[in-house]
Amino acid sequence: MNITPDPWIWLSALLTLAIFSFLFRDNILYQFAEHLFVGMSAGYLIAITWHNQMVPNLFEPLFIQGNIVYIIPLLFGLCYFARFIPKIGYLVRLPIAFLIGWGSGAIIPAIFQRDILKQTQGTLLVREAFLRWDTGLWAIIMLVGVISVLIYFFFSKERKGIMKPAANLGIIFLMLGFGASFGYTVMSRISLLIGRLQFLLGDWLGIIE
Amino acid sequence: MDIFKALTKIPRQVIYVVIALGVIIPLLKPIGLPIRVMPKSRQLFAAIDSLGPRSKPVLISVDFDPQSMPELYPMLVAVLRHCFARDIKVIIMALWPQGPGLAEMALDVIPKEFDKEYGRDFAFLGYKFGVTAILLGMGDNIKNVFPVDYHGTPLDSIEITAHLQNYDDLSVVITLSAGDPGWRAWLLYAQARYSARVGIGVTAVSAADVYPYVETGQVIGLLAGMKGASEYEILVHEHGYSEGKRAAVQGMDAQSLGHLVIMVFIIIGNIGYFVMRRKK
Repeated sequence: MNITPDPWIWLSALLTLAIFSFLFRDNILYQFAEHLFVGMSAGYLIAITWHNQMVPNLFEPLFIQGNIVYIIPLLFGLCYFARFIPKIGYLVRLPIAFLIGWGSGAIIPAIFQRDILKQTQGTLLVREAFLRWDTGLWAIIMLVGVISVLIYFFFSKERKGIMKPAANLGIIFLMLGFGASFGYTVMSRISLLIGRLQFLLGDWLGIIE
Repeated sequence: MDIFKALTKIPRQVIYVVIALGVIIPLLKPIGLPIRVMPKSRQLFAAIDSLGPRSKPVLISVDFDPQSMPELYPMLVAVLRHCFARDIKVIIMALWPQGPGLAEMALDVIPKEFDKEYGRDFAFLGYKFGVTAILLGMGDNIKNVFPVDYHGTPLDSIEITAHLQNYDDLSVVITLSAGDPGWRAWLLYAQARYSARVGIGVTAVSAADVYPYVETGQVIGLLAGMKGASEYEILVHEHGYSEGKRAAVQGMDAQSLGHLVIMVFIIIGNIGYFVMRRKK
């Protein structure tokens, strides 16, 4: 065992143990660590947003370089604070309307391209998919899966005849998807535990390399 | 007390202790369970491996925070080692405010292993807020979005960024993403809008969501969680690019045994539940 003398690692390790103590039951050590984390995160975010965003993108161009055009985003930004003054509260709609309009215009075509066109193309059975038997089989399974899941979410027709087994097949595909997601979630959470234990056993206690 | 009823009411503290032991023991005494490299990790490795000193720079976006370090930081280290070993130029940026600190941690160590110099071999652009404007703006002119690097040096005066215009001047974009803003935005703007070649490293939680995009070729390769990181570390090691510490590989025994313990608990709980139901 080769315990570190670094006070920052000691602090970090003790805070980790304080958070882990919640696994037994809620306690004051956990609450202290949690509040410290929330406060530090908020402070860090404010500081980095000020120095990385507000100063170089607004204040420097406007007040140091004298670029008067930047008064427009400044005024738009200030409109958000109008909500605190009831008489001019309606001004908050200006930046919100701008953001929604600009954001929708920028995002909708890209989403259509990313999630609809390309994904539909990827589901089609093309000749190249059948150059190997395994890729051909997966392509068929994927097509059947997509169609059956879409049928499951098709609520405008009663589930009778072919619709019923197709929707049931869709449920199976959905469950497989949920199972895979859950498995990955477990994997992710275990990874986080491993990371902390590597820190405690390695960086702090020096038991492992 | 009925043993099957007891199986459905195991105290959670007992479960935590058993899982902790299942993870700690293999960390202390590694078993060396085999790790199979998945095709999607191999695809990303091959995409980087096909580049060389004359290639355009690789952009790595550090889109995660310290909470996701166990899964994503080993990916950052492994990809950096791979790029530097191949003499590929690297540009790093972050869409998360905590990203610069993590990127600096890696850049303090990894370039020295390969005798790489700031400005000539790599550059660090830092963090910017506002994902949509950032990624769309980079498609037009990266220097409008990042006029200066993380240290305040104008990009025009940095060797590897002096001629940087937009995504066309990057060979590959890799986002190491723990959520939003992250891989979705990179696919939405850099890939769908500007046809950039995007590789993705994600936490395991997000991995299932990325798979459809890998299947369609929108993503050139995927590293999924600590397993993906360990696979990339193995590939870098196997190709003789680095002998450095492999944190993700070190954790994979613990990962496997942790999963085993959870599977056992799920089976035990189900046995207890179904037997109790039949008795009723």
